[in-house]
Amino acid sequence: MAHGWVGKILFVDLSSGESKLRDTLPYAHSYLGGRGLAARLAWEEIPPRIEAFDPENRIIIATGPLTGTLSPTGGRTIMTAISPRTYPYAWYTHSTLGGWFGPELKYAGFDALVISGRAGTPVYLEIQDGKVRLVNAAGYIADVPSASDLWGLDTYQTQLRLKERLDPKAQVLAIGPAGENRVRFATVQHAEENAAGHSGFGAVWGSKNLKAIAVRGTGSVSVAQPEALLDEVSRYGVFKTVPVGGALEGSGAHKRRPICSQACTFNCLVSSYEQTADGRLVPGQCVGSYLMAIRQNQNQMEATHYKGGGVEVPAGRSFGLCEEVTLKESCDRLGLDLWHRLVMQPWLVACTQRGITELRGHPIAPSDVFWYAGFQEQLAHRQGLGALLADDLRRAMDELEGELPTDLIDLGRRMEFGFGFPAHREGRFWDEEPLPFWVISAMMYASESRDPAIGTHQSVLILADLVLEDRELARKQFRTVSKKTWGYAEALEPTFEDKAPVAIWSQNMHMLIDSLPLCDFAFPQVVRPFKDRQDWQNSEDITGDLEIDRRLLKAVTGIDYSREELTHISERAFFLERALLARAGRSRELEETLAPHFQLPCRADGTLIDEDGFSRLLDEYYTARGWDLERGWPQSGQLKELGLEDVALELEKLHNLNKEELA
Amino acid sequence: MKIIIDSDLCRDCQACTLACSLFHHGECSLELARLRVVKDLAKDSLVINLCRQCDYPDCIAACPNEAIRLDELGQVILFEGECLQCGACAEACRYHAIFYNEKLGKYLKCDLCRGRAEGPACVELCPVGALTLAAEEV
Repeated sequence: MAHGWVGKILFVDLSSGESKLRDTLPYAHSYLGGRGLAARLAWEEIPPRIEAFDPENRIIIATGPLTGTLSPTGGRTIMTAISPRTYPYAWYTHSTLGGWFGPELKYAGFDALVISGRAGTPVYLEIQDGKVRLVNAAGYIADVPSASDLWGLDTYQTQLRLKERLDPKAQVLAIGPAGENRVRFATVQHAEENAAGHSGFGAVWGSKNLKAIAVRGTGSVSVAQPEALLDEVSRYGVFKTVPVGGALEGSGAHKRRPICSQACTFNCLVSSYEQTADGRLVPGQCVGSYLMAIRQNQNQMEATHYKGGGVEVPAGRSFGLCEEVTLKESCDRLGLDLWHRLVMQPWLVACTQRGITELRGHPIAPSDVFWYAGFQEQLAHRQGLGALLADDLRRAMDELEGELPTDLIDLGRRMEFGFGFPAHREGRFWDEEPLPFWVISAMMYASESRDPAIGTHQSVLILADLVLEDRELARKQFRTVSKKTWGYAEALEPTFEDKAPVAIWSQNMHMLIDSLPLCDFAFPQVVRPFKDRQDWQNSEDITGDLEIDRRLLKAVTGIDYSREELTHISERAFFLERALLARAGRSRELEETLAPHFQLPCRADGTLIDEDGFSRLLDEYYTARGWDLERGWPQSGQLKELGLEDVALELEKLHNLNKEELA
Repeated sequence: MKIIIDSDLCRDCQACTLACSLFHHGECSLELARLRVVKDLAKDSLVINLCRQCDYPDCIAACPNEAIRLDELGQVILFEGECLQCGACAEACRYHAIFYNEKLGKYLKCDLCRGRAEGPACVELCPVGALTLAAEEV
């Protein structure tokens, strides 16, 4: 028996109700697990060029070798599918979520789940120690008279009901009304607030009539070197501060903080418990830094204000701490991506500033907390104004074109510039990313399937915060970090040149982190944790421990992968994701359309790049990847070298087909 | 030696249960551990079931085979080889801290990681001080 993997992938067809199994191990050595494994399964299972709501779309839920073990933050789970959110058309992407579901799935005997088809009526999937069954969720008849119905319930009620019905220890993934109503930014929720949030997979579940998956497992994950794993975690993991979201605040107050996933033994400063308007304490993790700022009496939504290059994004409006916590909890319950707020509220404010007080007869009052709470409900139920905006802001602009002033339509489009995703760590609309960090972000945005920055908190992007603290000190320290990490001291110099190796390293590392899996706030540890500000200021070398992932993997699986082997595995998976994008129609032509965003001046330092400059960035990136410059696709030789002969063949066929179409 | 439990500090990371099963069985499992951490999602509260090393242990009194007794350090230990699997101890334990594992077909109870130089693995790995060692009585 293998260590780390539990051995089986479960395939469930909702149309026929049938399930089958496949062995994990033939995939494991080439893809490890998680996002890498999911990419391979997607390539094999999802037909080319289908829409997100096609029954042939697959929901892939994958764990990795570290899931369910003591590896710190290894409790994460990866979900992938063709996304309804990506713009202008549907392609394959991923989300990751924390919590306790992935471990439980492994304890039940499965490394991954692949769900296809569409159920005739709403159902939920029940998995208990290798046994699988589909249960009607619309008219469930049980010996508990109250448990008659799940469809329509919020994500929280759904979980409680299934735990009550099945086992209090069962772990549940569920969609809320937003997913049922196919809102394009609907989440799949777990526990209080863990979510596969950004990619709109809740809507894919809704389209399949899948309300929830409940899993209960009593098995275990075998570990090759138990002593080594215990040593590693006790030496590295116990209550060490995760150096993001307040990197310089030291260990912070030693208080009870919620965690995002099983086996997270860290002290993560972005999480805290906060009070709702009705006085309950609820966890606030991912948006913890946002809530933290409000706690310090800052109007965090003001950070959406941007002015430059002839574009003005108005400030949003924060409503006070307990109101914000309540709105956030409402999103979690409805199954809405919290990030909608960062684009929709400022855009609606822009409308009101132009004297527009209603849209298609629906009044708008985005700075009124009660109105906003109602608006979230409307979004989730596709009612009133919600019906218009449930397809997200970008698509709503296409719908409203001609009805509103052109600059408002243009603003809405700009705010979801990244293929339909809100701006994030791109140095303009959200987060201050000075040069060279926004350049690295730009390359990643252009080459990936979604907002890439949400998966790279602890890699190079977090270094931007240190620059904003003390530019000179940070620059000096970065030379050592850069030399050690990327082999050249100039990697993080504030220039436009030679940034592709950092972008590529970051992408490869995050493919690895999402495949093991581990938390991207904590890994790869580019910068070590600081005791306090002084500790940072007095340090010559702030480089973190970049080998923890490898040591954990070795302790769990017993396999001593070299760094080169791991990079090779990550590249294989990343190239495969790129091939999935190519198969959906993505190419350089579409990626060039991101250029206007980076022609706006950077919020932190005013730097910008013109259209030719952006094109040169793409040239640099594609060249460093070894991809062709015309389409930005991987080359056949590269794919074959990565063991992806079948992928190479299909891309060749596709390329020839495209050429014929052009001719 | 005695482990003090403060479940108010617990945040459900399960490091204790995973470390316990890892040390005793070389596997990571919530069911092979000699303690349980169970969260009530509705109340956002956590219950930790773990041997308290009672001064007057009900389990010792209940065991018909004297398989549970004090070891040379005065610690309440279940000597697994002598256990008849009758379950009387688990029934008697007021803290619900003795567990029957179906796969192994035997009862499991905290042994304070007997023989482990660093002491109980759960205490060492608990990041938040929900499990701590009691000061030795003089």
